[in-house]
Amino acid sequence: MSHDHTPTVAPTYSIPVGPLHVALEEPMYFKIDVEGETVKHVGINAGHAHRGIEYLTTKRTIYQNVVLTERICSLCSNSHPQTFAMAAEKIAGIEVPERGIYLRVVADELKRIASHIFNVALLVHLTGYETYFMHMMQVREICQDTLESVFGNRQDIGAMCIGGVRYDVDEKSIAYILAQLARIEPEVRDFIKTFKSNGTILRRTKDVGVLTHANAITCGVVGPVARGSGIDYDVRREATYAAYDRLPLMVHTQTDGDVWSRAMVRLEETITSIDLVRVCLRDLPGGDAHIHDRPDIPPGQAIARTEAPRGEVFYYLRTNESAQPERVKWRVPTYMNWDALRFMLQDAKVADIAIIVNSIDPCLSCTER
Amino acid sequence: MNFLTLFARNLRTGPQTEAFPLGPAFTPEKLRGRIVFNAENCEGCRICERVCPAGAIKFAKSPDGMTFDCWHNTCVFCGNCEFYCPTDAIHQTNDWNLAHVQADKFAMVEHGLIPNMKCSDCGATALNTAPMVKNVKPPLSEAELGEVRSRCPKCRAKYLKNRKVPS
Repeated sequence: MSHDHTPTVAPTYSIPVGPLHVALEEPMYFKIDVEGETVKHVGINAGHAHRGIEYLTTKRTIYQNVVLTERICSLCSNSHPQTFAMAAEKIAGIEVPERGIYLRVVADELKRIASHIFNVALLVHLTGYETYFMHMMQVREICQDTLESVFGNRQDIGAMCIGGVRYDVDEKSIAYILAQLARIEPEVRDFIKTFKSNGTILRRTKDVGVLTHANAITCGVVGPVARGSGIDYDVRREATYAAYDRLPLMVHTQTDGDVWSRAMVRLEETITSIDLVRVCLRDLPGGDAHIHDRPDIPPGQAIARTEAPRGEVFYYLRTNESAQPERVKWRVPTYMNWDALRFMLQDAKVADIAIIVNSIDPCLSCTER
Repeated sequence: MNFLTLFARNLRTGPQTEAFPLGPAFTPEKLRGRIVFNAENCEGCRICERVCPAGAIKFAKSPDGMTFDCWHNTCVFCGNCEFYCPTDAIHQTNDWNLAHVQADKFAMVEHGLIPNMKCSDCGATALNTAPMVKNVKPPLSEAELGEVRSRCPKCRAKYLKNRKVPS
């Protein structure tokens, strides 16, 4: 009998992470080469879910597509139809009424509040602080109830239409939204305080998953991921749309580029969003919230971009003589942001993978539509 | 907020979950739920059928008139039909109780009929739709509306033309 002395465990080996249940229950697969407990190489494998929505948009009319694009993603379900409508309005030369553009900001920012709190709550869940996770989700529930009461649905709020917004607010709903925001704001300020002081959160998120300013530019990251690495860029300010040029928009940045910085950018943006909704409801002009006819969209092409909760959403729309668009193409923030995971995960601990992946707020349903 | 403060607060405020199904669930007035069709108000323009992204709404000719069907199992509850309807003939209620047994799946349909009638003027068979008179000036009185409604499309046009005040 011969004795084999080769060790049973190699010093380096590769582990699969995904395709399910990395941070969110979404199909994302990483082939990770580790050395002991340290990540040495990350292979990103995309394309597990293809729903063919870009093709489906060419089979539906422009007016039906406003609803279809809303169903691309549940958390940015307002940004997609808004950007699509903006592109269609550009082709047809439709002017959105003043009241409509203010109400677009209200819908957009309310969704942003819900999305940011959701992501940061998941981060807290991944650090193992379950009590605080439940508490944050409960605060988010205030926002979800607001969405349901004002728009009629928790996720697919159906606020957008070509030429304005489908909903309107009266004195009663303005008072209701303001009361709900007054409930959310102190809680979010408390989140910020907790994130600055709580040992559990600080130890798991500080100096973890660092994306340097240079690497952030190399990857072309957008949204809170870029701002967390010190890139002062926000589409709402750089290529202003809706009513943002008239609103006191603050762009928050952090310099460290770690998981904590990205979470902090999101929390501070939540406060800014609350302020923006308040200003919009205060300065809300009268008149119509949308145009009253249903103009045909002439042949042409246009691009539009907006700042979704995860970063820049870019739409390209080409129309022809028919009622259906000839081509709709969108680029979503996660597409650029997940490339940066190669840098963030480099030399990270295996236990931190989920936290780092969650910190880019991945949205696979947008990316692999 | 630390764990103990949260714990104390939760003990004081009690569970946050709703008692449903033992109690009522939070249902806002504006919730976009079950579709209700009012054939009386329908102009028969079929815009709801065209803007419905799911293809849940179907109009069809029948010996009795024109039928309307909205299949709730296909509907995505987006509310496009209600938004684009010119006469408020289609509504979304806040009723979300749409769970049903498999045997009832073909019964989850909102059905309506725009009946046939005989034109009071020429006697031709026509649909008894609500007249498209939103932009008619001066607005029609209740009696005039009834008169327009009792006519076929051709006679309606004639009636409205004769009514026009020469400018």
